[in-house]
Amino acid sequence: MKQITQRDAFWNKIYQLALKNKDIVVVTADMGAPSLDRFRIDLPGQFINVGIAEQNAILVASGLAMTGKRAFVYAIAPFITLRCLEQIRVENSIMNIPITIVGVGAGFGYEDSGPTHHMVEDISVMRAMPNVTINSISDNVMAIYFAEASCKMTNTNYIRLDRQPSPDIYRKGHDFSTGVSRIADGKDGCIIATGRIINNAIEAAKKLNKNRGLNLKIIDIYTLPVNDKALLKEIKGVPWIVTLEENWITGGMGSAVLEALNDNAVCMPVKRMGLAFEKGYSYVYGGRNLIHKSYGIDADGIEKAVCEFL
Amino acid sequence: MKSVRECKELKRRAYHIRHDMLKMCVKAGTGHVTSSSSCIELLTALYHGGIMRHDPEKPEWGGRDRLILSKGQASPALYTILSDCGYFPKKDLDKFAQAGGKFGVHLQKSVPGVEITCGSLGHGFGIAAGIALGAKMDRDLFLTFAILGDGECYEGSIWETAMFASHNRLNNLVAIVDRNHLCVTDFTENLISLEPMEDKWRSFGWDVRRINGHSFDEILDSLGGIRNRCSSDPLVIIADTVKGKGIDFMSNVPLWHGIAPGAKDAEEAYVSLSEMCEKCDNCIRKDIRR
Repeated sequence: MKQITQRDAFWNKIYQLALKNKDIVVVTADMGAPSLDRFRIDLPGQFINVGIAEQNAILVASGLAMTGKRAFVYAIAPFITLRCLEQIRVENSIMNIPITIVGVGAGFGYEDSGPTHHMVEDISVMRAMPNVTINSISDNVMAIYFAEASCKMTNTNYIRLDRQPSPDIYRKGHDFSTGVSRIADGKDGCIIATGRIINNAIEAAKKLNKNRGLNLKIIDIYTLPVNDKALLKEIKGVPWIVTLEENWITGGMGSAVLEALNDNAVCMPVKRMGLAFEKGYSYVYGGRNLIHKSYGIDADGIEKAVCEFL
Repeated sequence: MKSVRECKELKRRAYHIRHDMLKMCVKAGTGHVTSSSSCIELLTALYHGGIMRHDPEKPEWGGRDRLILSKGQASPALYTILSDCGYFPKKDLDKFAQAGGKFGVHLQKSVPGVEITCGSLGHGFGIAAGIALGAKMDRDLFLTFAILGDGECYEGSIWETAMFASHNRLNNLVAIVDRNHLCVTDFTENLISLEPMEDKWRSFGWDVRRINGHSFDEILDSLGGIRNRCSSDPLVIIADTVKGKGIDFMSNVPLWHGIAPGAKDAEEAYVSLSEMCEKCDNCIRKDIRR
């Protein structure tokens, strides 16, 4: 059976919840998904298409939230975060009107669409605002969990979904409430990743085990702001950390990890991997792995960087 | 047509509100006096003219009509009216934008009776449309009023919302454009022409009325019977107004945007404003220049 995408897993869950809760509404900026077709047909009164108008999407969703609706705003990630950033800042950060912003195409999900569609700033930008929580999704189990959790949140929640199918990492029923989960255990070092690119970390760890005999711990940070306590507990005893993300290195998840360490007076070697400004935006075509390779964040690149780091 | 007596009463109130708004800004040494002054009659009619359903005792009452001041810089006008209605004590106005004060230059949601925090333009209108849509979904009968600045109509998001509202037949949404013809640096028609405004809104699917925004007769005529309107289209009132209305030397002068008169100018402003006094025999405000 073909693996469904994170967004379909997410929307399937929202559909089920919306059947029982008429206050759940989807506000889309003309963005679809196979799973949303059913929602549109079965629940037309809870499905609002504002057209390609992201600013209005955030405004209308916020207005709906003021009348007690649980509004999910949906579009391609760079457009529903950056195009309407000031609306999010005023309505959802300053006023703390709770909505769920669902952006699809995290990182290089729209691999061949070019830099306008690559979402490589959202972690840095969205985490700069109070009252906005980022949930950077790494597999379908997590997508389903946060679909349900979104219906209970009292602040704004940005769901960062991948566009491409992602291998299952977690078992059904995994508890994601801490914002930090350990995927693999090891004592020789630690790779912390977020989103679908965590699969590159898993692959790199396997290579490093085979070629270097290293046993690496792999941690998934999916909720930002980072849960310092949970993070510190997980990294206790590891000699070094490599962070990995499909976001500019500047201000991203790796920076958040550094901040957490610094604020808690933990001093240890950390290498941040992601997109370096010097490399610029990507015009590499032919698949996501080639893009990763160009930034040195494919499994081979990670293996190499870890060896150099050591 | 409203009776002469009703209009006279509203004029009396509008004078007091404009006076208190000016006093509040003079004391603070800041505040958008001219932008506030242009929409005093509109707000007075909504709150005191029997248009809006609201209860100062219960600011959160679910059945209240929502007033979204999308031109959040006119907060002094709204704050003064809300305190006049009894939403909060008048003494709170004395600390406007000062240490220990509860509110500042731009609109703040935490103030009783205020629906949104606003200062950045092109926001409130879309929120108002979302509220109106939510009301339709829940079959709630309250109305949502959005007061827009004409300069705000340069924001693209205004037209995103305008399209959305008419398509979704939000006839429970009323937009009022405070058409004072001035922006920050110049008259709108010198910047980028906003006219023909009626045609623009009509082409976006709105029921359009154009009035003199300082005439209670015309405001009440345009908004009277608002709950029994037959059209399924949302309604926009384009209210021609004067930026700085009532204070002659500040009126229609771009340089007075966003500021309050200093001590010397303030005296002249009060004198000028007193022309609007109805000079009632039984005046209850002994503290105001007649």
